[in-house]
Amino acid sequence: MKRTGAELVKRRRAREGGVADPGPEEAARAGERLEAVRELHDLKSALDAHSIVAITDARGRITSVNDKFCEISQYSRRELLGKDHRIINSRFHPKEFFHGLWSTIARGKVWKGEIRNRAKDGSYYWVDTTIFPFLDAGGKPAQYIAIRTDITERKRAEVRLAELARSLVEKNKELETVVYVASHDLRSPLVNIQGFTKELKRACDRIGELMESGEATAAGQRELKTILSQDVPEAMEFIQAGVTKIDTLLTGFLRFSRLGRAALTIRCLDMNAMLASIGQTVEFQLKEAGMTLQVGPLPDCQGDAMQVNQVFSNLIDNAIKYRRPDQPGVIAVSGRSENGRCTYAVKDNGIGIAPEHQARVFEIFHRLDPSATEGEGLGLTIAQKILERQEGRIWVASKPGEGSIFFVSLPAA
Amino acid sequence: MSMTKEVVVLIADDDPGHVRLIEKNLSRAGLHNPIERFADGQEILDFLFGRGPRRRAREASYLLLLDIRMPKVDGVEVLRQVKADPELRKIPVIMLTTTDDPREVEHCHALGCSTYVVKPVDYEKFAEAIKQFGLFIALVQVPEVRALSGA
Repeated sequence: MKRTGAELVKRRRAREGGVADPGPEEAARAGERLEAVRELHDLKSALDAHSIVAITDARGRITSVNDKFCEISQYSRRELLGKDHRIINSRFHPKEFFHGLWSTIARGKVWKGEIRNRAKDGSYYWVDTTIFPFLDAGGKPAQYIAIRTDITERKRAEVRLAELARSLVEKNKELETVVYVASHDLRSPLVNIQGFTKELKRACDRIGELMESGEATAAGQRELKTILSQDVPEAMEFIQAGVTKIDTLLTGFLRFSRLGRAALTIRCLDMNAMLASIGQTVEFQLKEAGMTLQVGPLPDCQGDAMQVNQVFSNLIDNAIKYRRPDQPGVIAVSGRSENGRCTYAVKDNGIGIAPEHQARVFEIFHRLDPSATEGEGLGLTIAQKILERQEGRIWVASKPGEGSIFFVSLPAA
Repeated sequence: MSMTKEVVVLIADDDPGHVRLIEKNLSRAGLHNPIERFADGQEILDFLFGRGPRRRAREASYLLLLDIRMPKVDGVEVLRQVKADPELRKIPVIMLTTTDDPREVEHCHALGCSTYVVKPVDYEKFAEAIKQFGLFIALVQVPEVRALSGA
């Protein structure tokens, strides 16, 4: 049953032993007041349902918090009342940040901003905050109301977005390198094909001239012989080498680009079994090079069996290829599991890589010493690409003359 | 000892075909200067800075042709080191490369290369350039040689 404002006032006055019958004017005023209180109550309920609300005194001590404040901060009302907001400070923002906040609200101005706070269990949450100062009769802040909205999810998304943007920039740079290298490395043999085709043309013209002149001089004969036995074969050899080189490069590119599209089957990998099988495959090569392969107990990780096998096969191939001829070569594979990641080390006692060359060993078609060994300069580029696609990483530590350690990190099983 | 010394052409290029084409075309253009080949940036640096088995002659004049993309040390880094050395910086350097990336051209000019030639090379113009730089070297170097031989 709804009571009118006038009735309520009448009852209260009666309780208080005052004048029994108020005038109609006062009853109407009381009615308006009650209506306003009800409206205020509704507004507060709506605010409490949506926002995290706290009221503090002029010195910042918490005098009131709503349920949402307790919920997100994980502190009980009793733990919060009487404390100031340092209880949820995450130490993320610099001192100047809070100085700015206080100097704004102390002047009676509204402050708005995003704050990272720390809940009781140590986890962090972000709130979009508006602090509204209430001024006393003298114009000084008497208390502050802080209304906050949980924006933790949005902040997380922002971080993810920034990471994504960063990785896109990296990918783009990588692509630029590939295009640069491709255009250079493909043009290089083309220059030879073009140049030596011109040489052939010149040789033909000269042969024609010599034949037309009809002079069978000894000098003419000698020149003809040089052209046919040296210049022409040399030109054809370079042209053929150029064609082969272009073919090799294009095949390499195809291999590299297929990798990016191949479907991955991520599962738990028994690395001890994998390395044992790789050891069998390279047994002959090891024997021929007089090398030994030592495999320590390795933790299981997660990855695509075929592709991870390719990475380790390649690293061991490299260790064999870049051995030092003056001592027995030893390759040692070890591994450990830490914080959800497995890190494997393929260590050799080979020729090593000088610090200034270490960054470039993963570059596509880059070969440090093309004259010394065979290879197309793709092995480490492919290893890096394979690992990137399955949350893996590869990096190198090396000292020239002492050997190299290639590290591979993959998610633990 | 001749008064005008012959300029030795140093070619650092990892592609033997490119080197051969340069040799053949220079010879056809009437430039029969001695040529020394280097297969990568490290070899030419070792030669210039007197670290390797091959050493440069102190009194010789050189012209350096540098490919950019080479194993071990690239041509731009060789150019940088040559131009940072108070003595070697006098050597004219011609960059010879397959890319005409404007940023790279600008970078090489900023480092002090004499000219930048994009492969495939127009050998007639190339020979002209070499003749000019060669002549320039001879003019600069002759008084020094006189002073040395007079001392």
